[in-house]
Amino acid sequence: MKSLIISRRELTTLIDNLIKQTEVVAPLQQENFTNYAPLRSSPEMVWGGPQTVIPPKQFLYPQSEELLSYEFGGKGPQVKDLNRFKKRILLGVHPCDLNGIFQMDQVFAEKNKDENYLEKRKAVTLIGVDCLKPCSPESICSRMGGLNPKGRFDLFLTDIGGSYFAEAATPKGEEIIKNAGKPATAIDIKKLKQVRKKRDTLFNKEQKKLLPKLADLPQVMKKGINHPEWEERGQKCYSCGSCNMVCPTCYCFDVQDYMHINLVKGVRNRFWDGCMLEDFAKIASGENFRENRSERLRHRTYRKLYYLFEKWGESFCTGCGRCIKACLTNIVSPLEIANALSRKGKK
Amino acid sequence: MKTLYTPEIAVIKKVVPQTALETFFEIELSEKKILGHLPGQFVEVSIFGVGEAPISVSSPPTPDKPTFELCVRKVGNVTGALLGMKPGDKIGIRGPFGNGFDLNNFRGKDVLFIAAGLGLVPLRSLIWTVLNNRQDFGRVFILYGCKTPKEILFKEELASFESRKDVEYQITVDLGDETWGGNVGVITTLIPKITFDPKKTQAVIVGPPIMYRFAIKELLSRRLPEGNIWMSLERKMKCGVGKCGHCQMNQIYVCQEGPVFNYAKVKDIPEAV
Repeated sequence: MKSLIISRRELTTLIDNLIKQTEVVAPLQQENFTNYAPLRSSPEMVWGGPQTVIPPKQFLYPQSEELLSYEFGGKGPQVKDLNRFKKRILLGVHPCDLNGIFQMDQVFAEKNKDENYLEKRKAVTLIGVDCLKPCSPESICSRMGGLNPKGRFDLFLTDIGGSYFAEAATPKGEEIIKNAGKPATAIDIKKLKQVRKKRDTLFNKEQKKLLPKLADLPQVMKKGINHPEWEERGQKCYSCGSCNMVCPTCYCFDVQDYMHINLVKGVRNRFWDGCMLEDFAKIASGENFRENRSERLRHRTYRKLYYLFEKWGESFCTGCGRCIKACLTNIVSPLEIANALSRKGKK
Repeated sequence: MKTLYTPEIAVIKKVVPQTALETFFEIELSEKKILGHLPGQFVEVSIFGVGEAPISVSSPPTPDKPTFELCVRKVGNVTGALLGMKPGDKIGIRGPFGNGFDLNNFRGKDVLFIAAGLGLVPLRSLIWTVLNNRQDFGRVFILYGCKTPKEILFKEELASFESRKDVEYQITVDLGDETWGGNVGVITTLIPKITFDPKKTQAVIVGPPIMYRFAIKELLSRRLPEGNIWMSLERKMKCGVGKCGHCQMNQIYVCQEGPVFNYAKVKDIPEAV
């Protein structure tokens, strides 16, 4: 990994130069919330918190994307694949979301390669930013393993006071900083360690505690399958699917055809779907395999903390806290569910 | 670039109404390409402008024949649109998907087929695979149940089962009518009517989700080992490639690891049966 020290002023110039060359998407203030949008000049960017409402996955896996188009002619339908991707830089990505993107890379590249995702992913450069204090009261990243970016970036910036410690993990990242900064000295590295230590202490103090060990969550979930907590929380669920929509690791989708009013041309779209929605597992004959809200809440939580955790070896809740913030009835927190299951499970 | 979601164009060769709700289709892929499916696999059928739906392939694998068969019940938008189509019309096909039945589990064994309602459609691909290679298998039982006589599918083929000496065939309806002189009762009432050797028999059950529990219970009471029971489970296979999440039962993507499952392997999966 190549490391450099870049001054604040130099970084501003660097970002403004990047904006001239390619689309740079970063967290921006939009009324009373933040969201990823194309950056016009470096001062617009929101560093740190609050966390954006929608994670940056929308640029790799859009809320709605056209998979194919077709046109009816004399010889029947002519089908054309659509796989649109755009070269862009995602700037200011928090470690939780870097982990989320890495996890999406795994699931979409597994076995049947989903080129619609992978092509978009290849076209993106990830510039992460270290979080030095919790970005929202709901965040639980230090508990879920999301605070450490684990090298899952092209470039990563840590504010070490007055200047940034820049780590490039890929050639793409090195390219960005090739003409910037100066080599990191032993003092800089010491400063970085101090900043991170302070960060860890602060997160440990401020973020809600996870009672079981992180590595034990799949077992806690497995044992808690019939725990009354699911029913208690499920009863309050609106089945609105907000938790799915804002999650950086929810990747389920639905597909629908849209016919142009001329009935000659049409497109097939895929768009985000959510396992908390009532008809998610319903088949055409009317049978619904996850009819109860508590079963759906359990399924969603199991995906994050059990099924995918067991399969890929780490929690698929990155602790960003978005679902907790989005949930209208305050039932969805994976951390609180894990705590409840382990606490009452011991009786 | 061809993606996971790009269908191949296929043409409808034949349309034969079966009942008020079900229609039989013979389909040919463009350039007479062979589908290359296993019995028990499914395809995603596209009606452009309407959508896509998972449909079981009903015909046995036929390496020398470029067509395959579907039997479709009108239940949703895609199947509704499909029923309005005629020979020469073009549809899209993706697949085949799913694991299908592994014949190695059945060769040399007695095979007991239990089909309820539309379950006959996917099971038909395995039934004919077995009957086309009859010498490779022991006794063959076919039990079939429908709600009423009006819903009986593939009547001519059923008549051929009845007349074969190497097939032990029984049919029942839940509710008879004036034309019906046969068995009346749910599918499980046929199981006591046959004698089979639980050690040598592999049972294959396909039917509506509610039926599995009862059929399995009946088979277990006849001392058939759990590992000798096979099922094809219905789920919402939207993408067919293990991504969209709709077909998941617990951690299992049915479109990838299924739809064919051994009962012993999934009996402890809470969302399975």
